[in-house]
Amino acid sequence: MAITRRQFLKRSAVTAGALLGPSLFEHPFVRRALADTIGDRYLVVLYLQGGNDGLNTVIPVSGALRPAYDAARTTGKGGLNITPSQLGATLLGSDPGTGTPLALHPGLTGFKQLWNTGELAVIQGCGYPNYSLSHDESKVIWQTGNPFGVGSLNGTGWLGRHLAANYGATDIPGVTIDYTVAPEYRETATSVLAVPRLADFGFPYDDYSVDDVAAKRQAFADLCASASAGANATDVYIGNSGTAALTSSESYPALHDLYRSQRGAFNDAYAALDTGTARRLREVAKVVYGVSQGAPNVAARFFQLLNDGYDTHSDQGAAETDGQHYLLHREVGDAVKLFRDDLVDMGVWSKVAILVWSEFSRRIPQNDNGTDHGSQGPMFVIGGAVAGGLYGNHPNIADTALDDEGNTVYTQDANPFRSTDFRDVYGTMLKNWVNVPAATILSSLLLLDGGDPASYWTVANFDLGFL
Amino acid sequence: MGDENTVLTAAEARHLLRRTGFGAAADDVDRIVSGGETRGQTADRLVGMKPKVIRPNGKDPYLAHNKWIRSLVKTRTPLNSKLALFWHDHFATAVSKVGDVGLMADQIKLFHKMATGNFKDFVKAVNRNAAMMEFLDTVRNFKDEPNENYARELQELFTLGVNDLAGNPNYVQDDVVQIARAFTGWYYDRHGDAALDPDSHDFMADFPERGPKVIYQQTGGFGAAGRSFTVNGEGAGEIDAVIDIIFQHTDTDGKKTVARRIAHRLLEFYAHPDPATSVVDEVVAASGFDTSWELAPLIRAILVHDDFYTTMVPAPFGATSQKSVKWPVDYVVTTLRLLDLRLRGRDQSLQGGNYSSVYDHLTNMGQVLLDPPSVFGWDWETGWISTATLLARYTFARDATAARGHGSTSFRPDRLIDLSLSDPGDIVDAVTDLLGVTDQLTAAERDTLIGYATDGGANPTLNLGDETVRNTKLNGLFALVLQSPAYQLH
Repeated sequence: MAITRRQFLKRSAVTAGALLGPSLFEHPFVRRALADTIGDRYLVVLYLQGGNDGLNTVIPVSGALRPAYDAARTTGKGGLNITPSQLGATLLGSDPGTGTPLALHPGLTGFKQLWNTGELAVIQGCGYPNYSLSHDESKVIWQTGNPFGVGSLNGTGWLGRHLAANYGATDIPGVTIDYTVAPEYRETATSVLAVPRLADFGFPYDDYSVDDVAAKRQAFADLCASASAGANATDVYIGNSGTAALTSSESYPALHDLYRSQRGAFNDAYAALDTGTARRLREVAKVVYGVSQGAPNVAARFFQLLNDGYDTHSDQGAAETDGQHYLLHREVGDAVKLFRDDLVDMGVWSKVAILVWSEFSRRIPQNDNGTDHGSQGPMFVIGGAVAGGLYGNHPNIADTALDDEGNTVYTQDANPFRSTDFRDVYGTMLKNWVNVPAATILSSLLLLDGGDPASYWTVANFDLGFL
Repeated sequence: MGDENTVLTAAEARHLLRRTGFGAAADDVDRIVSGGETRGQTADRLVGMKPKVIRPNGKDPYLAHNKWIRSLVKTRTPLNSKLALFWHDHFATAVSKVGDVGLMADQIKLFHKMATGNFKDFVKAVNRNAAMMEFLDTVRNFKDEPNENYARELQELFTLGVNDLAGNPNYVQDDVVQIARAFTGWYYDRHGDAALDPDSHDFMADFPERGPKVIYQQTGGFGAAGRSFTVNGEGAGEIDAVIDIIFQHTDTDGKKTVARRIAHRLLEFYAHPDPATSVVDEVVAASGFDTSWELAPLIRAILVHDDFYTTMVPAPFGATSQKSVKWPVDYVVTTLRLLDLRLRGRDQSLQGGNYSSVYDHLTNMGQVLLDPPSVFGWDWETGWISTATLLARYTFARDATAARGHGSTSFRPDRLIDLSLSDPGDIVDAVTDLLGVTDQLTAAERDTLIGYATDGGANPTLNLGDETVRNTKLNGLFALVLQSPAYQLH
């Protein structure tokens, strides 16, 4: 499914500035995040939609795994082989399992800079048992943290469950930079806003006549206030929630103007990158800046954005700078690096963590000029407080170790290719960044599998070490 | 106080049409009132309409969803269409796990077909429904590796409930274990037809340690011996036998557990949350549901009962008044029908505002058909309401009333109200009458709308013949009412 269904967007003619009035002091119905376990931190989830080719993202340079790499990724026309000499600028360290020297895809120079400052954690071999090759199915598994469809975890996002337990209906703990709320945040107890662009966000007024908006606003506010003042609990609830909706629809767009007026140089820098990821990260930066500056009636600390296009069945490209995969990596690497610099400048970088995931990696042997759906792949965690480094193990890409689909195998065996269950990465974030106790995580957020400990996630490790 | 012989007032007729369908069209209200119809007569007519059985299929869930919405907007059998939504929530099955849109479409077709039929037959059909078998893992339930998911939810959600109305447990874990045995080895073929693979089925002789296939030795009124579901032999008949026993289960008051539970749920759907046990028992008794298991008489009994009419209490709503929150699909479909507004194309999008697909609107409101959040269905009432979901409703209201273009996908208030009206009070009343909320607004709220229309009295009359005035104030009034707290409620 494509991410948007609109045919074209009509911009609301009203800016938040025109509506600022005495009501934007701390509004009683827009409470600050209550008893928030995340405290003064921020969490940004970045989804690489389509299934990012992990083997050409975290690449064996030489040593034990390189021959298998060379066998799987060919040279010549359509070949996806990236040579050691092309990896000189993006070297990482050695694979913990096999000692193989690793490097990032040449397009990820942005991530390499974060590696140099110790702020990039590369977590290898992330996946789950009985992996699915279906986009929809695997995506839902990652978003719900629920590979086996356990009933109590169905239908809610792994972060959504945390938000629902800690926030109320008029709180806005999170923002998705999209038209609909990210499934990672799906829940029914609190409000996660879906805001593709703050400048266009606002209370939905008909822009036919801008002069009438103030009158519409007043009438709406009065109708909500009247319900809030009534005796019926349901009606009161809707009145209160409507007022909170109006308030936040004005407080969030104000962050756009605040950022543009106070962070003009960075604003221009994102524009200069001219990519979707840069623009979406700038929206996140606007909210982070506003919250950190104490802008009224904004308290969101959880974010999500995605970059699409990773389903590179054909014409994937290797190291060439006009290849699909290269361009995707350049877009994300450069945007995240700029975002990092922006937040360093704001003085909040040590309070921000970015989690990067994809719904699967890709098949080890390439096809004609691309790759098909695969299994375990790398995740990244990036932030000022992150303990950068290589975590987990590179999956075993030797031909003899692949399954019938040509994919690496999930294993929890204590061998040099042990996989990282993605739920351990989530759990490490929840425990060490969002301050949720492990017992709480395992009782209501993520549930252990049953079954053979070598093949299933039966023991949690929420201290993988990157946070 | 009234009963099936009570002649319906206009307000009651509106209420009856709204709660059972998607908005009360003036013509339908007139028909009831001018015909002097009673509660019973109208209920019979509505419940008795021959359903149009749809099968919303599509290349992907998005298209199937949009097809279903389109059929709701056009439905001429709204009671059945809306009831199918209830069953979709009750037997909640999500396409994101099932993975096959065709199987989901078959399930929705089943819901339309059985909506007012025999509930026991309905549950027996759900046992064998491929989408359900996929969703609750019947197809992964084998003699060597039993999977209890369906056996649990069958009891907990679809029939008995965890506890009876007095709060006592209805079943124990061993009942789940034994019932799961009945379903071992069931699968569906490529046509979606269910069958039993005897090789994967748990036969008692092979698993003596699992004991006899007996259930409800501790609850259900069967005594310590419980009930065996293999009296007619083991094999494919077990899953039907299990249902027969479940429907004989009685609670600690000696009443049929399934009857009370389903009546309770339907009262929550049609009337309000937390219906009194006495009302539950009255509608069961009046309809004979606990012996016949026929849903049509049960629904009819609800629709003629006083309790059904309690939410139509006019504004101001008291502390003890019971109001019910409209489902997102109800909000969307009712609005489109009342405004006579069409959606466009495969995206089924509004042609105004953000031009978004109805799918996106409903996603943001928290209800995507074919994809309920879990087997527990959706959270009703204030579970629908948050800042974010309200903004989604408000955006839908704006997009609908800002649809300016040509033809049937544009908002045409000129076809809905009399444009020769010039008194602002009359105009506000015309809008609120059309949207069915005139008596749901207080005098002060009505004054707020009049104040908006007149710019605080600056323009004491309105000329709706003036295009600018009409597009600003008349469209604006419609949007405000659609966004009002009152319109979110029944």
